[in-house]
Amino acid sequence: MAEFEPKILAFCCNWCSYAGADLAGVSRLQYPPNIRIIRVMCSGRVEPEFVVKALSLRADGVLILGCHIGDCHYIYGNHRTKKRMAILERILGYLGIDPARVRLEWVSASEGARFAEVVRQFTEEIKKLGPNPLKEVRA
Amino acid sequence: MIESIRDLARKWLESKEVDAIFGLKEQDGGVAPYLFTGRVNGISELGKLTTSTQYRRLCYTCRPSKDNILSLMQRREPNMKIGIVARGCEERALVELAKRGQIDLEKIKIMGIACSQEEAKECKCERPYPNNLVIGERVEGVSGDENINALLSKSLPERLAFWRHELSKCIKCYGCRDACPMCFCKDCKMEQKIFTETGSLPPEIPMFLFIRFYHISERCIGCGECEKACPVDIPLLTIFRQLRRDMKDLFDYEAGIAVEQESPLLTTLDESPMRKEVTSGV
Repeated sequence: MAEFEPKILAFCCNWCSYAGADLAGVSRLQYPPNIRIIRVMCSGRVEPEFVVKALSLRADGVLILGCHIGDCHYIYGNHRTKKRMAILERILGYLGIDPARVRLEWVSASEGARFAEVVRQFTEEIKKLGPNPLKEVRA
Repeated sequence: MIESIRDLARKWLESKEVDAIFGLKEQDGGVAPYLFTGRVNGISELGKLTTSTQYRRLCYTCRPSKDNILSLMQRREPNMKIGIVARGCEERALVELAKRGQIDLEKIKIMGIACSQEEAKECKCERPYPNNLVIGERVEGVSGDENINALLSKSLPERLAFWRHELSKCIKCYGCRDACPMCFCKDCKMEQKIFTETGSLPPEIPMFLFIRFYHISERCIGCGECEKACPVDIPLLTIFRQLRRDMKDLFDYEAGIAVEQESPLLTTLDESPMRKEVTSGV
């Protein structure tokens, strides 16, 4: 049987992380092809419902990437994200979904290498966790 | 206890401290919310003012207009001062509603009443007394919830199996939302097609109830109306109670205690208000 290849959804903020992903690309850095990127204007746009929707649509992991605290283009957008995701992780834990499937990281526009590193680490972790248990629910 | 509530209500009405008292009235063998006005017949009706653990929805949201019953009253009679007979949970609901701009607390006088030990036990209430106690004796709340402890002792796959079973009972009646004093959005996410498919039961697991868990997480006052309203007995309070603890743990915040205390989701990471700083910076 082939090795489990997770599907990972990444929400990248337009101003930092998406540019960071772009930099990783133009610098020809290697990172696992398991992620699919959705560009959002700010990590604060990512509602916890989006994450749950992604998980219930069989994503194995969800990555939320935003500007470092203090660098947000909208000043406090990532403050909101951080607080929301803290609550989301708790609720997911109580519902029986491993909170490690969701990760929030800060990646700036100049951190192409960091972007590749975050994706690599997260993919490794999701591979260890195995397929999303919600897959069977919908089947 | 009920006599002293009626006496104080009469005193408030007669001294014109309030223009009306909002409370429960005995009617046809049951109870219903009623506005006792300051007119002569209103005062004579005060003999029927009562309290009940079975019916405590004094702050509920009217459907389908999705207006809070108190905000409707305040909009219609902006100058009326209303006295409200409120238990601990109802007072917390009033505080949270005022914090979110739904009602004007200036125009409300709260008659905080304490719940008895039996009532607290019945609701498994952790805080069966209002912040501002007017009538009754404060009793200690129930600490420790066997449902929460049972949930926390489970492993992740066991929790998922448990909720899969519980949530598959959901018949999407929206009873939990409609009974919730904190649910007042005009556009409810639980009705949006992108998040909840229409025409299929049970609703998507765990999406449907997750929306409620998340949206009420930081404002839950722990009244337990959602669980009481649920016709299929989904233990919703288990998660809400635990989330109330989490809010203390994560943000040192407790809903319904003080109007000045801003919700942690509306403040920055160092708990300063977001909006004020943005406008002063411009």
